[in-house]
Amino acid sequence: MAAERYLLDELTPDAREAFEEHLFDCPECALDLRAGAAFVDEAKAQLPEIMASLPAPARAGTGRPKVKRNHWLAWWRPAFAAPAFAALLIVLGYQNLVTFPALRTAANQPRLVPLAPLHGATRGAAHLTVTADRKHGVALPVDLPLEPGIANYISYSIDLYDPQGRLAFAGVVAAPGEGARGDQPFSLVIPGAMLRNGAYSVAVSGVAPHGERTVIERYVYDLLLTD
Amino acid sequence: MQFHSFDAGYVQSLCAGDRRTQEHFVGYFTALLQVKLRSRLQSLHAIEDVRQETFARVLTVLRKDGGLRQPERLGAFVNTVCNHVLFEQYRSSSRSESLDAEGRPELPALGADALDIVAARQIKEKVREILLDLSPRDRSLLKAVFLDERDRDEVCREFGVDRQYLRVLLHRAKQEFKAEYVKRIGNQAPLAANA
Repeated sequence: MAAERYLLDELTPDAREAFEEHLFDCPECALDLRAGAAFVDEAKAQLPEIMASLPAPARAGTGRPKVKRNHWLAWWRPAFAAPAFAALLIVLGYQNLVTFPALRTAANQPRLVPLAPLHGATRGAAHLTVTADRKHGVALPVDLPLEPGIANYISYSIDLYDPQGRLAFAGVVAAPGEGARGDQPFSLVIPGAMLRNGAYSVAVSGVAPHGERTVIERYVYDLLLTD
Repeated sequence: MQFHSFDAGYVQSLCAGDRRTQEHFVGYFTALLQVKLRSRLQSLHAIEDVRQETFARVLTVLRKDGGLRQPERLGAFVNTVCNHVLFEQYRSSSRSESLDAEGRPELPALGADALDIVAARQIKEKVREILLDLSPRDRSLLKAVFLDERDRDEVCREFGVDRQYLRVLLHRAKQEFKAEYVKRIGNQAPLAANA
């Protein structure tokens, strides 16, 4: 590449002198350089005409190197972006005009939820069949046993498992105060959207002061949806 | 006679005034001197002056008794003489700017025979073919470097290439061109010269 460096004027003065001294003594290098120089001379003469004769679109992208485009930016072109924004506006409009008001109404207004009595499986009860519908959901009573002789817990953990055995909900309630006597009832409200036909189970665990958890109740019920 | 390198026989023929040897000597070194001098001198007049003065001094030394001690170093000797002439040229032009002045009329081109014209045309066509085969970007790169004479580093940055890319681009173009060049012009080189 010495000839190329020489033609590109990349050699230091000393290196250029040394190369020239060799060049005049080496017919092969001399021929190489002469060919390179002749090509450069002729290219300089022809390039303006060639560049001018090329079609405009071909030249337009060649004055500067092509910038590598980010394909993700293509999605911002109007052809894609306009329909996407229109669809987004429709979704936002529907949510603001229909969905959110309905949810707000549901959250702020009293509603009836069927209460399903449960029997503790650990107390020898069989599965209980519960009927419910997706519109109202269902409220499951959960008893926190506070009978004498049971260890003191600082809180209780309630875990709900769906028919596939997956944990669907986990909640913690603080233990009742010192003067509490007897089982403390709670309601576990399950919205209709979460309900599936099948066997649900609820595990009630007591959490000791040092963090140890002990399952003290397990409820199982077979849910039968009516809609 | 096939020139494989410069030797005592070549120098002897040159000093004896052998026409073909002299033509080869002038043709071969003119090409090299022009490449060398054009990066140092702006004016074609100055280049021509230095070239002719170099040849005159070389031939004068060769014809003296004793001549050139190492005939195989004839090329290096020509280069050394050229450097001396060039140095004198610099000193001379800095005093009077007589030879390297801008604006002086160019010397008319010497007449060319039909073979030269054909060879020149074929070389033009070959260069055109090579240039058209290049990508548009590579053509623009060559134009920016050689025609527009822009700063190499700036051009490389703009085109997103490094200096090595530029060298390789030139090397490939030169190699492709060289075969045609040797076929048309290369017989002036000692390796393939017939005298």
